[in-house]
Amino acid sequence: MKKFKYTLISLFSIFLIIACSGDSEEEQDNIPEFDRSTILKNYAENIIIPRYNDFKTDLDALKIAVDDFVANPNSVNFDKVHSQWFNAYKTWQHVEMFNIGKAEQLMYFNTMNTYPVDELRINDNISSKRYELSNANDWSSQGLSGVDYMLHGVGDTKEKVIQKYLNDSNYGDYLKNLLAIMTKNTDDIVQDWPSYKDSFIQSSGNSNTSALNMITNDFVYYFEKGLRANKIGIPAGVYSGGNTLPSKVEAYYSSKNSFQDISKDLAKEAVIASENLFLGKAATGATGPSLKTYLDYIHAADVNKENLSPIIISNFQKAKQAVDLLDSNFVDQINNDKLKMLNAFDKLQAIVVNMKTNMLSLLSIQVDYIDADGD
Amino acid sequence: MEIIKSYFSKKQESSSLALFRLGFGFLMTYSIIRFWFKGWIKTMYIDPSFHFTFYGFEWVKPIEEYTYILFLICGISAFFVGIGYKYYLSIITFFLSFTYIELMDKTTYLNHYYFVSILSFLMIFLPANSSYSMDSYLSKKSFKYTPRWCVDSIKLLLFIVYFYAGLAKINKDWLLEAQPLKIWLTTGSYDLPLIGSNIMQQEWFHYFMSWGGMFYDLLIPFILLYHRTRIFGFILVVFFHIFTVILFPIGMFPYIMIISSLIFFTSKTHKKILDFILKPFSKTLGSLKQINTVNIRREKIALTVVTIFFIIQFIFPFRYAFYPGELFWNEQGYRFSWRVMLMEKRGYTTFKIVDIEKGNSFYVMNDEFLTEFQERQMSFQPDFILEYAHHLGDHYKELGYNNIEVYADSYVALNGRMSKRFVDPKVDLLKEKRGFNNKKWILPLNEEINKL
Repeated sequence: MKKFKYTLISLFSIFLIIACSGDSEEEQDNIPEFDRSTILKNYAENIIIPRYNDFKTDLDALKIAVDDFVANPNSVNFDKVHSQWFNAYKTWQHVEMFNIGKAEQLMYFNTMNTYPVDELRINDNISSKRYELSNANDWSSQGLSGVDYMLHGVGDTKEKVIQKYLNDSNYGDYLKNLLAIMTKNTDDIVQDWPSYKDSFIQSSGNSNTSALNMITNDFVYYFEKGLRANKIGIPAGVYSGGNTLPSKVEAYYSSKNSFQDISKDLAKEAVIASENLFLGKAATGATGPSLKTYLDYIHAADVNKENLSPIIISNFQKAKQAVDLLDSNFVDQINNDKLKMLNAFDKLQAIVVNMKTNMLSLLSIQVDYIDADGD
Repeated sequence: MEIIKSYFSKKQESSSLALFRLGFGFLMTYSIIRFWFKGWIKTMYIDPSFHFTFYGFEWVKPIEEYTYILFLICGISAFFVGIGYKYYLSIITFFLSFTYIELMDKTTYLNHYYFVSILSFLMIFLPANSSYSMDSYLSKKSFKYTPRWCVDSIKLLLFIVYFYAGLAKINKDWLLEAQPLKIWLTTGSYDLPLIGSNIMQQEWFHYFMSWGGMFYDLLIPFILLYHRTRIFGFILVVFFHIFTVILFPIGMFPYIMIISSLIFFTSKTHKKILDFILKPFSKTLGSLKQINTVNIRREKIALTVVTIFFIIQFIFPFRYAFYPGELFWNEQGYRFSWRVMLMEKRGYTTFKIVDIEKGNSFYVMNDEFLTEFQERQMSFQPDFILEYAHHLGDHYKELGYNNIEVYADSYVALNGRMSKRFVDPKVDLLKEKRGFNNKKWILPLNEEINKL
């Protein structure tokens, strides 16, 4: 028994010596805790709220243009609606990723931008005057994508579209209803943010339900599905055995019926919006605490290792270049040379890989919505 | 020989097994209720259209809505074990139902579930109902003693769990890089009493916790065994496990280990605890006929089974030695070996289906087949990747694709290293068989972690 005791004591001494020696060596450089709420503060105050306000402004302008157009369906008013819709759709790219708080409750991004549009359903809604569209089956018959169909899809020329609105008031009513739903939901979210902001910023822990984990997950999810798959991958046939599906591009009808080729503008805007979030960059160009600065902080503790943030930044550069190479009309691009689409897909994929493996791992952020024990 | 014989004739008061049975049974009952109320039966076993199976146990699958009945049976049998009612039937039922549940989908694999499974198997051979139990009350008989080896076998199993967990920590990442604790502690946000929020970011603390954790696991069984250090050991156990509760989403494991560690105390202590808890029943318990020692039915067979069981337990965690390559990367022989919390590992794996006849290819959207939880686990574990690839092959063959190949585009990041390609992108996974053979299609990490 005595022998055992001695072994025990000696083992313990070794343990203590190791522990203490580690202690004294490193004491001089005391690394402060990274305050994650600073990221949340920057995101909320300088990105999310201003971007939502911008979107609300553009959407309100679209609503006014729609009202005018429905009251007087003519070419001038059509052009106004069209250009306001394009503006709003572009600003939308900066908020789609924030599926958090009120937006999540309202299924906001599903109702705002689900495409391809369900033509049959939307036409059925128009003729049967169905304006209550909260059912999930109606996600693809409303929102900005729904407006695309209402403006550019109900006829294949401007004259034919205007004629529809002149002949049948149901079209105007349906379009106005779509704007009513969109502005109502957007107002709700915009009004909610100032009061939600504080709890958002304070929720800086590292649990599955903390704001930073949720917003990061939303961001990565959006980037993988909403951007990479929906805008590029699916229409280019990545998931469909090489059969391209040009009708699945974003803002399809505007391109298809040659009103204006905007799919590329939207995709580019979405990549920039994602890059901005990663960099913590506001619309003014000012940058603040972000996922990037958090990664830099982690790297500072282990400078011998490769730093992830410059890698992701260069990934973004390559992705933007690849999107730039695309035809402004994605339908044409897919039909004529889908390899360029696939190239853009690969460049976006590289960002997904780095974010989902390296970034989430280094920041120890669990994948969302998984509620399970570890061991 | 004489020593062995005399050891196996030694006795220990029955209160030790009784308290253990009580604690185990009620903790398990609570575990099942907790699992049920968290809605996990639905999200983990009923919702998924596909389940990852253990090789050789492909036939063990969730039984749709009846899975609830399975959990009900498991929970009731755990409760019966706790109160010691029809103990042998109950513990066998519990072992079978619990193990069946764990085999249904390996996505949910946790070391502590495995621990519960094998512990309940061991308990089938222990007369844990000989006192302080319904069985004892109904038969009006209470046994004073049980064979000592029965109590020691539980201690031995705990010894294995701790000691092997300690051995597993002797690796390059854990000791020399303080990984993955460095990642977890730096990015956590805790405001602990005494410790505060700043200490978690300090490098020395990461090393302190890593080395401390290793020594804790290796030494705690000895500290608990030796009577003079036992109380100190138990305080360490409580402290250590509560600490892990604060830091990690670790579920029931810490509580199971704390309660289990009570077994190292003396029967007198166990008796005191039991008498305290069961005070309202003291009259009834006192009226039972006291019999000296319980006779284990077919003790020789029981002992043989238990001996074989332990030999397997001792050897099984070393099976990784049969595989080339880095254990933490390939995970061949990683499970069922008490390797706990050793890896911060993330993967991203997508699959390409190549249609040879048509000469084209397409990618698969994983969320059409897997839940997010399944996708996360699949993305970095080779046996999941292979099983899923075969599932995809079967799926598309059913859809009329006759001649297809399945390739994985896979990246994995391990313990703070930058992610690397994980699966050889030129290997058609449909041509690779499931099983215990070496998976040559995993690209090497080119680094040794497990060997120092």
